[in-house]
Amino acid sequence: MKPRLATLALAMLLASTRLTGAAGQYETIDYYVQQMIVQGDANDAAGVETFREQLENLGRPEAGDPVKARPFQQQGLEQLTRDSPKEALAAFRQAFIADPANPEIAGQLGQTYLRLRRFKEAERLSVYALSLAPTQSATWLVLGEVYGQTGDPLRAGGALANAYRFAKDPPQLAEQLRQLAAANSPEALRTGAQKALQLGPSAANLKPPLPPTAAPATDPDPSPQAGIPAPAGTPAAEKTAGTSSVLGALRRRLETLANPAEVPAPAAESSLAQAPSTDDPGQRIYRRSIPLTCLIVTFRNGKTDNLGSGLLVSADGLVITNNHVIDKADNLAVRCGERESAASVRKRSKEPDLALLATSLKRGESFVLNETYNQGLIGRDVFVIGNPYGLEGTFSTGVISGLREIDGVRYIQISAPISPGNSGGPVILRDGTVIGIAAMGLKMGQNLNFAIASAEVIASGLFDPARMMSRPLGRDQ
Amino acid sequence: MNARRFLLAPLLAAWLVASPATAQTSEQNRFYIQQMIEQAAANDSHGVTSTQRVLEQSPKPTPIDPTRARAALQRGQAALERSELEAALSAFQQAGQTDPSNTEAFNYLGLVYRKLDRLAEAESALQQALALEPTRAVAWFQLAQVYGLQRDARRALGALANTYRFAQNPMRAEEILRNIAENEAADTLRNAALATLRLYRLPAEAVLVPPLPANPGIAPLNIPPGPVRSRANRPSP
Repeated sequence: MKPRLATLALAMLLASTRLTGAAGQYETIDYYVQQMIVQGDANDAAGVETFREQLENLGRPEAGDPVKARPFQQQGLEQLTRDSPKEALAAFRQAFIADPANPEIAGQLGQTYLRLRRFKEAERLSVYALSLAPTQSATWLVLGEVYGQTGDPLRAGGALANAYRFAKDPPQLAEQLRQLAAANSPEALRTGAQKALQLGPSAANLKPPLPPTAAPATDPDPSPQAGIPAPAGTPAAEKTAGTSSVLGALRRRLETLANPAEVPAPAAESSLAQAPSTDDPGQRIYRRSIPLTCLIVTFRNGKTDNLGSGLLVSADGLVITNNHVIDKADNLAVRCGERESAASVRKRSKEPDLALLATSLKRGESFVLNETYNQGLIGRDVFVIGNPYGLEGTFSTGVISGLREIDGVRYIQISAPISPGNSGGPVILRDGTVIGIAAMGLKMGQNLNFAIASAEVIASGLFDPARMMSRPLGRDQ
Repeated sequence: MNARRFLLAPLLAAWLVASPATAQTSEQNRFYIQQMIEQAAANDSHGVTSTQRVLEQSPKPTPIDPTRARAALQRGQAALERSELEAALSAFQQAGQTDPSNTEAFNYLGLVYRKLDRLAEAESALQQALALEPTRAVAWFQLAQVYGLQRDARRALGALANTYRFAQNPMRAEEILRNIAENEAADTLRNAALATLRLYRLPAEAVLVPPLPANPGIAPLNIPPGPVRSRANRPSP
């Protein structure tokens, strides 16, 4: 007993020494949280309590605006239910900025970062949330997972032991720990969870009663995943598994990234599948084409320089655009549907005005270029998708007005409106094939616009047309 | 009567001494604020602290009519809420004139000037606010936005670095910086936020595809389109 008291006294002395230095606020709270982890790992209930009290004695941040924060928090929870962590992040961020003194919001933001595998941010937000509510079991669980995911079994074990210690429903927490200790978790997480399980019963027994007024905030939800629903579409068993369901979803997504052929449905198409079926050809084409149409952003001297459109033309991420879009760029970035990638120029030509970009956006399908170029095209409906003036995913329609040859390059004249930013985007026929690449317009006059004929793209030898991968444009695709 | 004369004499003397020095002090203060910006951008913590202390010890203007200033400030805030920028500007100007020691007045003045795209005046007003209170994070943040609009990357970085340094809740400021670094459409401010996070070794993710302006020149057809506004939600730290 005496050596333990001596250790604690030394730790307290060190803590006070540290506090008198230039340590920032975060470093101070992190110090106490790390001490709680060390004590938790050592199954030292008194030590955990000592540092918990230290944490609770720190100054509280100024209260925010809970009324302003609430709708954002609600929105974040809904986005998590829809398995949209990026959107959830945006919402929880706004909630946190509005009310940074709410430990639940801080914890939810930390957990969202964990879902996005942004472990450093997840750690910082969780540590901060624990400074507001050191007994919030859900946040300890997130922190334990962060350490487990980043290969630190000791800290994972300590944090998970604290999750167990402060759990309102120890049997449920034990079940979650067992799932984390399962074979498909990273080794450090498995080890940490096993350690916490071993410590569990004694830790739970040693749990001292919480002073009714000293605790600044208590875990309002007995579930360790307080307020955070499991992603939609996961099996019911995983829904009850809380964090492991998150990990399961993450794992599945990683597996599908590694093997695109098994991708069940990308985000843009998932929403498509839920949409009511329609006979409208424009809607069918839009839904099918939008994930394959790209926004291209160019950078020059470290700043955004230009933007345009492009289209995916191969399963391995080749994107066609106009050469004038990327002409003076130092660097390129591309977003097709929900996915983003840096890009490099594979080939380019001034006449015809085309460029082929290599990206990491591997998909199971791409647009198919339609080589037809004859008078029979005139009068056929066309659909154009692009990013005019940065209005991403703008869809417009028109007809093929004529066929023109300008400086030896074959163009398709269209009446569909296009503007700066449409350059490089697809001009699509009703069957979903691409008949041209939007390139230019006549400034005088109305709707006198021109697309480089796909026949010209293929003839230019820019890329091997055999690389195009498509599926038929079905009724509800 | 004699006692009254006795009181008035030092006041008059103080006014006579202080008046010619005002312009000079104001220039000095601006110099020190620019120093703080440069030192922050260079991560020179000691330099920032030293200059901050110099500023804090510099003579402060005397309030002329604080009651009138407070009333003007309230009028300005009400006008600002109604988006009546010209009325707000006039009220905040009056608040600043009647109480030149009122940091809030100059901070609001900077905000309104920025909203009116009068960036040089916004910078000047915010520098006045910071001369009065060099640790006011909100004023640093406003100044960073002004430099962002002026595409002055270095100063935007320095001002954001001071925003973080003096923020009451650094974790909140950190999250605001991450929000700007990931969602701001204007390059200068977005890059400055990212650089600030890196300066303080805080986790940050550079965006591959920068966000597009939410309103790329869209305006009613009878009004010429104004400057592109960024879409990042930027609450004060």
